[in-house]
Amino acid sequence: MELVRVDTQRAYQEIRKKIITLELPPGSPIDEGKLADEFDMGVLPIREAIKLLAHEHLVDIPPHGIYVSDVNIPDLEEISEVRVLLESFCARQAAKRADADDLIVLETLCEEMTSIPQSESMRLFNIDHKFHQAIAQAAHNKYLAQTLERFYGLSQRLWYLVLPELGFLPASVEEHLELVKVIISCDSDKAEQIMYDHVNGFYDKVREILLNKIKEK
Amino acid sequence: MKNDISKQSLVLGIDTGGTYTDAVLLDYFSRKVLATHKSLTTKRDFSIGIGRVIDGIHIDDPSAIQMVSVSTTLATNAIAESKGKRVVLFLIGYDPDLISSFKMENSFATPNYYYFLGGHDLYGREKAELDLTSILSKVNEVKQSVDAIAVSSYFSPLNPEHEIRTQKAISAICDLPIVLGHQLSTKLNSVERATTAALNASLLSILQDFIIAVRQSMELRGIEAPLMVVRGDGTLMSDEFATRTPVETIHSGPAASAIGGRFLSPSLKQDTALIVDVGGTTTDVALIQRGQVTISEKGAIVSGYKTSVGAANLLSIGLGCDSHITLNRKKVLSIGPERVVPLAYLCKQYPDLRKKLKSLVNRNWTQSTPDWLEHWFLLREPKDESLLDTSRKKELIALLRQGPIAVPEIIQKLNILHINQLNVDELVRQEIIAKAGLTPTDLLHVSGVYSPWDVEAATWARQFFCNSQFLDPDEFDQIIWTQITDMIIRTIITFLSDKKVPHEEDLYDEFGLWLYKNSIYPNSEHFATTIRLVHPIIGIGAPAEVFLQEVSQKLLTKLVLPQHHEVANAVGAVAGSIMVSEEVIIYPKLSNMDLDIIGYYVQAGDGREEFSELEIARKYAIDLSKERALNAALRSGADNPQVTVEELSDGLDSYRIKVKAIGNPRLMR
Repeated sequence: MELVRVDTQRAYQEIRKKIITLELPPGSPIDEGKLADEFDMGVLPIREAIKLLAHEHLVDIPPHGIYVSDVNIPDLEEISEVRVLLESFCARQAAKRADADDLIVLETLCEEMTSIPQSESMRLFNIDHKFHQAIAQAAHNKYLAQTLERFYGLSQRLWYLVLPELGFLPASVEEHLELVKVIISCDSDKAEQIMYDHVNGFYDKVREILLNKIKEK
Repeated sequence: MKNDISKQSLVLGIDTGGTYTDAVLLDYFSRKVLATHKSLTTKRDFSIGIGRVIDGIHIDDPSAIQMVSVSTTLATNAIAESKGKRVVLFLIGYDPDLISSFKMENSFATPNYYYFLGGHDLYGREKAELDLTSILSKVNEVKQSVDAIAVSSYFSPLNPEHEIRTQKAISAICDLPIVLGHQLSTKLNSVERATTAALNASLLSILQDFIIAVRQSMELRGIEAPLMVVRGDGTLMSDEFATRTPVETIHSGPAASAIGGRFLSPSLKQDTALIVDVGGTTTDVALIQRGQVTISEKGAIVSGYKTSVGAANLLSIGLGCDSHITLNRKKVLSIGPERVVPLAYLCKQYPDLRKKLKSLVNRNWTQSTPDWLEHWFLLREPKDESLLDTSRKKELIALLRQGPIAVPEIIQKLNILHINQLNVDELVRQEIIAKAGLTPTDLLHVSGVYSPWDVEAATWARQFFCNSQFLDPDEFDQIIWTQITDMIIRTIITFLSDKKVPHEEDLYDEFGLWLYKNSIYPNSEHFATTIRLVHPIIGIGAPAEVFLQEVSQKLLTKLVLPQHHEVANAVGAVAGSIMVSEEVIIYPKLSNMDLDIIGYYVQAGDGREEFSELEIARKYAIDLSKERALNAALRSGADNPQVTVEELSDGLDSYRIKVKAIGNPRLMR
């Protein structure tokens, strides 16, 4: 039990990384046996890890076979719909409830974000995730934070998908700074609006790139 | 292992020592040792040695094993060799002037420490506001160059608020593991707490990797059982606890030996016994009382760092059966503390070397020195090029590829003045090269007491050493064994009396020296003095009998050598009890004017409750800590854990409730 747990944790992280970085591309089949060999472990922990990933919607388990879940426009619409709503609600609550410690965290993150050069997109992306987590933290609702965290894997993968065409958006950094400003001034309407535009903007770009890709095919 | 296993409760104990990794398969309830195995410790990767030793046991039915327990020197070694991970330590509310006035700047086990405003006073009241902004900007500054963060706030055991807030904020901006002082120790000594937190942080990933490696070796061999890790006081904790508190494994090896020795001597009447563990590298002395190893009142000290974790009270000297017999800088015959490969073993591996040794004896040199016996050899090819940072090291490796070579020859061939110029410590530590020389093991080969390897080679080596020192070989043996006996007797006396036994050169205590000498080596025609040890000695380790027979005679006590004592350390790894301890602090809440006690706080880990009466607070604290300790012990796999409560006064109306839940491992009978 315990034993499986250690390996499951490792398998989960390794497979997740493969999916997110598109080494296992969307829609491709997953071979449990091959992964078990590769990670030098039993099939059981691989199976457990895949269950966890299915829970995050990164893996599909139809009646036969296991597949990396596909990225398609209808799915994207559904995901963005929920995420835009939750993220903006989160920003609204953060503006109401953030305490002094939350604000120090947000300010520190902004400082770091502005100091990272555009070329280091991986670092910028990580800090972007931390920023969204910190807003969720500042909203002081753990269920909300947990729900948003589940979307993280999915948006991380989208980001890898569009990275070659997109890079990190300089505008996005400014939006973050602006958001922290209004959270400090407790302006919940404005915070909600900024976050709404911010997340929506991201999905607009992703949609555009995906459509182009489909056309190319 | 052909017994009827259906009626047994099989447990597997593993001890990774400085020289050997030992394993023992034990039927827990009958205390019967079913199989044992020894394999060399692989310091570069402990899991290799562990895998080998499990394979050596030949387990018929791995699924029958109900528990695996390991003791490891990993933590102690990592600290001693400064191989811990890079840690930054944040000291909140500490006074830098105070630290420097006590010259404590080097006590924190990391050179990377920073002071910040904040902390509490001895009534748990905020001393200064927490400067989170400075802390976070420091995190951003250093996070790329450290592996873990330790945080210790002033009086955090009374009020951990600043540590908790700091952890929350730091984890929001980076993913480094964070260790908080109050989670490791409720003692109020702020420097020891900070040191403990820093050491724990430096060991986190090391112990985690180790445990994963052990688990993988277990899985590979079909062993599905809970894994326990031995603490420095000999008790067991679940592997999950161990990954969080690796600092508690400091000194776990010697503690396991002591417990194993007692476990293997069930017929011993005496309640108290002295355990002497003679290994390849060191000899460790510990005391057992009522089946438990005695714990040091002070926290464990490792490599000069004082920590606040409990550890067995023991004394260790660098003397074992593979200790190097050589001449020290003053050209005096010395044994240890360096450990080398016995020549009898080396010649078994490299038979060509025998001729060379033989010709050494026959040559009649005027300037033959024992250095000719010290041979260096290549254990494995250095894969990591950075280890060969000088051209001399590259030449050395090329030279050693041809086989073992004596030190004077190395000096000559590499054209250097002194062997130390080569600076090979790291190559030795990484087990790329090794040193061989004359050891007590070789002398045991000559006398036939223990002779698994090349007896002739050992005989020649001893003969050459004697020739070079103009000694008769029998006289030489006498000198060596007397010296070993003397070193151990002195260690025992110092350990139990806390007094240093004077040496010949210590002229200030003429009487002390005379008394010691006359007691151990009677010489006076007028006085019969003795130093009699009232406890029996339990000898542990393969060479225990030869090393300790005379020791026990001179100290006028009995030597007990339990069956399988050579693997008592591995037995001790499974023989220990599972223990979980909980500490709760009760301290007064003062009115704003500082005049009156208006209530009592009960601080239990991160949680705090307030009470108006001390009695109610006390009852609540005891009930809470009992419940927590009991539950955690059950979760860790303890069978019917017994709970003990200790109440200590910290002065100033503050109290500490210390609860321990101890039980044997829960196994199916």
